[in-house]
Amino acid sequence: MSSSPEAAPSPEFLAEETRRYHHFITLALWLAVVTGAEIVLIFVPVSMPVVLTVLSLMSAGKFFAVILWFMHLIYDKRLLFWIFVAALALAFATFTALLALFSVDVLDPKWIS
Amino acid sequence: MSETAAAHDAPTSTGIDHKKLIMWLFLASDCMFFGTLISTHLLYRKLYPSGFTDAEGHQRFIQNLFNIELTSFSTFILLMSSFLMALAVSAMHKGEIKSFRRNVLGVIFFGLIFLGCQVFEFTHFYHQGLTIQNSVLGSTFYVLTGTHGTHVAIGVLWLILMYFYSFTGKLGGHTGALDVEVAGLYWHFVDIVWIIIFTAVYLVEYLGPNGFWGTGLPAVTK
Amino acid sequence: MSHDSHHAPVASKLELAPERSDLGLIRPDRTTGWTDWLTTVDHKKIGILYGAFAMFYFLVGGVEALAIRTQLIRPDNDFVTARMYNQLFTMHGTTMIFLGVMPLSAAFFNFLVPLQIGARDVAFPRLNAFSLWTFVFGAFVLNASWLFEFAHLAGWLNGFEWHKHLAFTDFAPANGWFSYAPLSGTYGQNGQALRFTGVGTDFWIIGIQVLGIASLAASFNFICTIINMRAKGMTMMRLPVFTWMTLITAILIILAFPAITVALIELMFDRAFGANFFNPSAGGQPILWQHLFWIFGHPEVYILVLPAMGIVSEILPTFSGKALFGYPIIVFSGAVIGFLGFAVWSHHMFTTGLGPVPTAAFALLTMAIAVPTGVKIFNWLGTIWGGRVRFTPPMVLSLGFIWMFMCGGFSGVMHSSAPADSQQQDSYFVIAHFHYVLLGGVLLGLMAGLYFWFPKIFGRMPNAPLAYIASGMVILGFNLAFGPMHYLGLAGMPRRTHTYHAGNGWETWNYVATIGAYILGAGVFLAFANLAWTAFKGKKCASDPWGGRTLEWSLPSPVPEYNFAQAPIVATRDAYFEDKHGGKRIAYENDGGEAGVHMPSQSWMPLVASTGFLFAGFGMPMMAMGVPHAGWIVITGLGVLILGIWLWAVEGPGGYMLKTPAASGSPAPAETAAH
Repeated sequence: MSSSPEAAPSPEFLAEETRRYHHFITLALWLAVVTGAEIVLIFVPVSMPVVLTVLSLMSAGKFFAVILWFMHLIYDKRLLFWIFVAALALAFATFTALLALFSVDVLDPKWIS
Repeated sequence: MSETAAAHDAPTSTGIDHKKLIMWLFLASDCMFFGTLISTHLLYRKLYPSGFTDAEGHQRFIQNLFNIELTSFSTFILLMSSFLMALAVSAMHKGEIKSFRRNVLGVIFFGLIFLGCQVFEFTHFYHQGLTIQNSVLGSTFYVLTGTHGTHVAIGVLWLILMYFYSFTGKLGGHTGALDVEVAGLYWHFVDIVWIIIFTAVYLVEYLGPNGFWGTGLPAVTK
Repeated sequence: MSHDSHHAPVASKLELAPERSDLGLIRPDRTTGWTDWLTTVDHKKIGILYGAFAMFYFLVGGVEALAIRTQLIRPDNDFVTARMYNQLFTMHGTTMIFLGVMPLSAAFFNFLVPLQIGARDVAFPRLNAFSLWTFVFGAFVLNASWLFEFAHLAGWLNGFEWHKHLAFTDFAPANGWFSYAPLSGTYGQNGQALRFTGVGTDFWIIGIQVLGIASLAASFNFICTIINMRAKGMTMMRLPVFTWMTLITAILIILAFPAITVALIELMFDRAFGANFFNPSAGGQPILWQHLFWIFGHPEVYILVLPAMGIVSEILPTFSGKALFGYPIIVFSGAVIGFLGFAVWSHHMFTTGLGPVPTAAFALLTMAIAVPTGVKIFNWLGTIWGGRVRFTPPMVLSLGFIWMFMCGGFSGVMHSSAPADSQQQDSYFVIAHFHYVLLGGVLLGLMAGLYFWFPKIFGRMPNAPLAYIASGMVILGFNLAFGPMHYLGLAGMPRRTHTYHAGNGWETWNYVATIGAYILGAGVFLAFANLAWTAFKGKKCASDPWGGRTLEWSLPSPVPEYNFAQAPIVATRDAYFEDKHGGKRIAYENDGGEAGVHMPSQSWMPLVASTGFLFAGFGMPMMAMGVPHAGWIVITGLGVLILGIWLWAVEGPGGYMLKTPAASGSPAPAETAAH
């Protein structure tokens, strides 16, 4: 929602686009670095819960970085952000519940008769 | 590439273009779609951590099957294609059609490399004995990553058509920038789905000596 | 984009000069008759088509229901075979839900939402046409299974080589509307993909998949329309309740349907390619199908009922002469019902052994849904309370809705208690419950909507005495048919069995239920016949015959193709009603007139793209039958789909300017301008 139809872009608009351009480059470098770190991390001999937590955070970080900057949510109207995040939260909750329902490892023999 | 003239004739109630809004709604819906596929894979990994049995009857562990170098490479390629897509959208906003074409060609090229890696990976796994038919693991893995690959292929097709369409001179102005941005949203979404798949399907298999799900065997026999 | 809305405004689209699209083809803008209906992008015509198809399939589903009841009229009956019985109840459920209720709701969405929010069309007119035709072809594929079944029974298929190799010869689906695995799936190892059922299941899978695509596309469109195309001053909390319920329903559809889409893909892979998602002999978990199905299926229940609640929320205030009691609470309750609908899917699976904690959690959440539902009922009662009630046919049906839906709600709360549910599971008690909700609730609500808005749609008034008789027959027949099923269920009669022996004490009530079903069927037929007659020959009526409250009643009947000659600006909720009876609440923008309003061009492309689903929908089951070269039909279908979408994309949106009657010239009142 930034350019007027068929008109030449204004200088402010071009400056904004250039600023975004630099954001994109920085973000691309970060994405590459974090992905590299992820691959290294899985071979680091520390306890599994720690690695798993860090991996999840890194993955979530990359995910939100892409939707916020590459997908312009940080520049666009809030409504778009909430539409997507609401659906994401619902999906996350539903499928976490589904995975929990398949909890074979905690099957208590007293309920099997 | 344009649906309705009303999109730029009348201002919308929220100030968000129709096309952008409908693409975000589609992506919101797609969260549930990929959520279902990923959770299907994960819950079967949880139930059957021991991998699969190949055609010779040997027990195979998923860690020995996966090729983390290849997958890391294709992940990196997809991330960079997302970066180029962001640049292509930016170029369209500035009205720089040549720069748009360069970047979008890069996206298409990287997308094709990703698909090539996936074809190689599928063939490799198939020769290692993992098929869609011989185990639940094969079914969930191939259908999950294959569906994602189909999304990538549709994206590549879309961008190729858009690339050639740009030579007709009809892809321009606010509408053209919006059309490219909407295609970009789709492309980035395919990328973020892979970010999740890369961690949840590939990386967790390498945690600790036997992967996050373990081997399902009483002792470590690997 | 070189779109041509530059040529001069015309008074009628028939006066347009032939215009070529960007493809060089003449746009079908000037067509009349059949081509006009096939290429239309007008939300009102699309709504009418949805309604006509839905009413037809309602009757088809009704005939299937009557066949079921005829079979059960007496013990050890042999009116239909056991296999045919299974096919009948499967197709009855599937037809009523996906081809009856959902498209009839969609008919109302299409016709009313743009009118109620003061818009001239939906956000994506061609996508709307694509939704319609995709639904039509999906419905056709699903019902084509009957044609194959009858051809098989008549022996016409015996000469074919592929027919001799079939392990199972059931061509119509026979798994129930939920198609539980493993019955619908496979067994055997290493891709043997041995099946329990014939190609009926494949017809069901592809049919539901295509119908899902239609629903998804329509829902994206409607959310976009409601959020983005409201008239000036039409804030979210001034939207008519029906529009609100449409929005919530559409949100439920886009979030619930992906689960069934994936489940159907997985089941299709099991059956067609020997995958093991639900194959128990290879470690697949059939219970996963139940989970995925109900993650979709429970929100689906609210997808069915919320539009009817919206309709009733429009009718009750109109005929009580009062504003809707507690509008914000009604809207909020609808949203809460929708949200909670995602958190209760496992209450359909209490008897599968989820474990004590999940069972308790799902039971509590299910009971919680009774709260917002009850709040709505009290709000409706509050609306009628002290009002000047006019007992018109829509009002009678709406009151029937409240009463019958409440009865269904009561037995629903009984099911939410897991111990009680384990007694009622798979018994006729469940049939009684959901027919009270879906028939006493949804069907009465939709019929009320039809009688309420028919004068607006066609400008003709349905015959009132016939409408009263039909309503009476429906409500009486319905209670006679489904009331006894509560008793039958608690007396132990199981669902989905094609007959029963004498001596269980079920004979009397089954007999009564069948008589009730016939009365109900005759009532529905009478009601629909009355409407069909009205559409063509009914008595012409004024544009606002009921004293309506919302914007659609401010328009002439039938509604002109541009909807609003001048775009409205509203100052309040129920603006049209207040405008009629109090100060000025609606102003009009200074548009239209000689300058014209922009109309979208008609197009063949949505229809062409949808045709792809027809090919793919026939090809997939024929592949499963082993018909030679059937795979090429599927590939052709996908090709047609992609081609159609591509041509659609590059033909350009087009559009033309249509003259409207000039503005009456009344300036906007000061208080309106403030909004």
